Amino acid sequence: MHALIQAIILGILTGGVYALMASGQTLIFGIMKIVNLAQGALVVLGAYLTYTLFTTFGLDPFLSIVITTPLLFLVGVVVQRVLIRPLRGSDVAELSLLVTFAVALAIEGALSFAYGSTLTNVQPAYANSSWTVLGFQVSVVRFVAFVLSLVLLAALYFILQRTKFGRSVRATVQNPASAELLGVNASRVSAIGFGLGAATAAAAGSVFGMLNAFNPGSHYDLISRLLTVVVLGGLGSIGGSVIAALVMGVASSIVSAEAAPIWGDFTFFVVLLLVLLLRPRGLFGARVRGAL
Amino acid sequence: MKPVGRAGLLRAGIFFLLLALIPVLGAPGWLLTTLIFTVMYAGLASSWNLVGGYAGYPSLGHVAFFGIGAYAIGLVFTNSVGSGFEPFLLLPVIGVAVGLLSIPVGWIAMRTRADVFAIVTITLLFITQTLAFNLKDLTGGAQGKSVAPPPFPVETFDWPFYYAMVVMLAIAMAISLYFRRSKIGLSLATVRADEDKAHGIGVRVTAVKLLAFAVSCGLVAMIGGVWAYYVGFIYPQFAVDPLITIGMVLMAFLGGRGTLWGPVLGAFILVPAQEYFAQTFGASELYLLAYAAVFIVIMLFLPRGILPSVSERLARRRLAARGPGESPGTDAARPVDPAVRMEAAR
Amino acid sequence: MQLRFGRGRRARFGAAAAITIGALALSACSSGGGGGGGSSSGTKTPLKIGISLSLTGDFSDSGKAAQRGYELWQSVANKAGGVLGRKVQLSIVDDASNPDQVVTNYTNLITQQKVDLVFGPYSSLLTVPASRVASRYHYSFIEPAGGGPSVFAQKLTNLFFVQPAATTKGGDVFANYILSLPASQRPKTAAYAKLDDPFSAPIADNIRKRFEAAGIKTVYDQTYPSETADMTPIISGIAAKNPDVVVGGSQEGDAFAQIKAMIQLKFDPKYLFESNGANSPGDFPAAVGLPNTNGVFSSADWYADSTIAGSKQFIADYIAKYGGTANKIDPTSAEAYSAGMLLQEVAKKTGKVDNATIISTLHSGTWPTLVGNLKWNQYGEPQGDYVLVQWIDGKLQTVFPANGAQHTPLAPKPAWAG
Repeated sequence: MHALIQAIILGILTGGVYALMASGQTLIFGIMKIVNLAQGALVVLGAYLTYTLFTTFGLDPFLSIVITTPLLFLVGVVVQRVLIRPLRGSDVAELSLLVTFAVALAIEGALSFAYGSTLTNVQPAYANSSWTVLGFQVSVVRFVAFVLSLVLLAALYFILQRTKFGRSVRATVQNPASAELLGVNASRVSAIGFGLGAATAAAAGSVFGMLNAFNPGSHYDLISRLLTVVVLGGLGSIGGSVIAALVMGVASSIVSAEAAPIWGDFTFFVVLLLVLLLRPRGLFGARVRGAL
Repeated sequence: MKPVGRAGLLRAGIFFLLLALIPVLGAPGWLLTTLIFTVMYAGLASSWNLVGGYAGYPSLGHVAFFGIGAYAIGLVFTNSVGSGFEPFLLLPVIGVAVGLLSIPVGWIAMRTRADVFAIVTITLLFITQTLAFNLKDLTGGAQGKSVAPPPFPVETFDWPFYYAMVVMLAIAMAISLYFRRSKIGLSLATVRADEDKAHGIGVRVTAVKLLAFAVSCGLVAMIGGVWAYYVGFIYPQFAVDPLITIGMVLMAFLGGRGTLWGPVLGAFILVPAQEYFAQTFGASELYLLAYAAVFIVIMLFLPRGILPSVSERLARRRLAARGPGESPGTDAARPVDPAVRMEAAR
Repeated sequence: MQLRFGRGRRARFGAAAAITIGALALSACSSGGGGGGGSSSGTKTPLKIGISLSLTGDFSDSGKAAQRGYELWQSVANKAGGVLGRKVQLSIVDDASNPDQVVTNYTNLITQQKVDLVFGPYSSLLTVPASRVASRYHYSFIEPAGGGPSVFAQKLTNLFFVQPAATTKGGDVFANYILSLPASQRPKTAAYAKLDDPFSAPIADNIRKRFEAAGIKTVYDQTYPSETADMTPIISGIAAKNPDVVVGGSQEGDAFAQIKAMIQLKFDPKYLFESNGANSPGDFPAAVGLPNTNGVFSSADWYADSTIAGSKQFIADYIAKYGGTANKIDPTSAEAYSAGMLLQEVAKKTGKVDNATIISTLHSGTWPTLVGNLKWNQYGEPQGDYVLVQWIDGKLQTVFPANGAQHTPLAPKPAWAG
């Protein structure tokens, strides 16, 4: 029982970080209807930026988010403007899949060139410390990361619900054509949306770099998880993807701790297939379509 | 449907005659090894094209069936391959069995469309790979599964594998051809263009796309079987390797999805190009950047692939040269691809 | 005995680009070396050795470490006048960790570039297909990095693995040590966390068999997939059982993650063995913090403080050529270097370096290298032992077997520094 609860705690804390990554990807899909295969690579890029800021300037990894998020926001805007926007034709969904994959490769290539392929991680003084709460171990980094993810998700929610930009986004998601008629600049919304998606990757990356050893190839792991989370959540629903990320974290953690680690992720993939069998649009896809 | 011109058949005949003659003319071992993998990818891309190109369902999970085919050979021929030709005789059985197996899988996956379908098929890939790792009694798990080495003489060691790959490519292209010339091709083209509408006008959507999926998966499994026999040892991460999937998709995209020669062209171009980058930039990892750049250039400037773009440009030029009033349709020799026509009509 | 092969599975989208297609055509471009070299003029023809290494992709670091070892040996050998007066010429090509490319590369090296000899690639997974090609053409196959069971199960008689023992025996020396303890000090319960790859999990399994036979109870035994980034669920499962000894059948990143998870979960076993990762003098303290290394066991063939003859000279040559510090030298470099040493020994003894001579000569006698004195069974499996190393006072030290030990083992392991 103790081990089970410990596993659930871990799963929720880990799931929170994935929720942050997945929320960016969901935002991008919601606005542009494209699947961003570079999201994992952006997370790894964020982790390496944090690593460099920490090792050369001694900047605290959590504080470095202040620098990495604007940087990756810009990267996201540039990628959207230069590579995604020019895509034309009826196959934009497929083409963008391949283009974002190419972006992931480019980031991986650049990082390999700069850092090599050795696994590394961000190791602040408190990286290994933990609190004992009612006999359960709660890692400081994990807990702070979880709280940070919640705060950033809340900020994202606020931006979408309460700002003019957010209203434009929601209008675009629901109906791009009529949003345009109402004076929404769809191209601008797309660029900023992609930027925001990349920015969440940066924030998640800073945390990811403390929790896991990573190398430039780590993004393949990440993206496969993120894709399943995003699909399970119902493409385009941020709330759905947050819940899906938590489900994934807890499910993998419980199966790993209680049954066998080799079946941890498998369980999740099977759940995904079953859900799709019953609801081809994902858990929350049809119901809150267009609501983000 | 317009019959494929005599020129088209002639072209195919010459192409395969050349391929068949290469070993006989005394090609050295290194060239044959290289060609085995080139033709293998051409065959994979052509098979993928049946469902990814003609039906417009971009599967990223085909390598799952490649792996199943590989393990089938590994399971049966661990200890002995007899005269060395038995594994090839098993291939048709593998093809049919995997084709049947893929039907329920396709039925689930094809309830989704386009990008969601792509993601679901990635999931399929991971499930298969996890099973290959975890079902240790069957697959040997991470320890791998060996195929007994064939007793072929060293001088002609590669020949059987080479010809097997060429035959697989020929079958894949023949089926492509058949699809295009029959009602199936037309039905697939309507599925690709607008599935709901196709359903509405009475096209048997589910049946036709499942047929394409099953045939495609069966072919890929057979190629996987040849691969396993040639390489001689099967590890889960190599037999169910995402990069094989990416390879087939990319080649089909480069050459032109939904065309007969596109995937083949893509394989015969991308391979040497890739090799050139690996050689030029060597160990510096810059090759990834160069590769990504090529990738992006293709998507931005040749989004439909080389063949469709070029043939459209040629047609336009011919049209301009003949002056107004004449329609390009009179040009009977030019092979017209239904998918291209669909696109042009849009 | 670093055999990281690693992440392997979905991570391998990685090399995707590299090879997607690349399985091919290497030949066309890499033929620069030129073919025949037949005509014997006044000077002797160079001795051409072909090698395929993973210079790109996820494991390029290890592949490059092997390359440094090979090239260092080449320059040292050539400075001394070459092998039997023939200058050594290496032809190193990249396989990006792909088995198709490895087959193409070795076929190409042998049939097109017509190299005199070949050495092995990086990792068991690539060594198997590569050694089949070499065997087909009757080439000897001295290989420093493929020691998994699948390599020896092929029963090839042209193969020689340049490490002290089969990789799966990497933990036997730890079992020897634990079972040598007096009954009162011996641990009662053990947990095993094993990476699912061809070499790591079997190391822990071999230890487990020995422990169980000696009455040490198994309280936890799980395998985890290579892409597992987060070890906390596994370690929390182990911590719940509170075993005396924890055995990690690990590679690199996962070993670090296991230890970080133990620190976070405040779980302190009395004995902790990580088959790999913890034997990396530079990366390990960087990943877990130097104070936390104290008391961790691992096994090794070569490391910076190794007392084997020739090691000091190797380190000096290495630093002269590549810079850096002794602690940064990857054991893979020493293993690759040792492959070259073997060749020179054969040349010295027989005056010949053709493949048949190499194969028949290495099958008898014992051969000194940087990784110990090697001898093989008929299928190339080395018949020696690794040494047990332990982190003591911030340094990696040999602690077992007693002859050759630099320090007595530190037990039980001190608590984590946090």
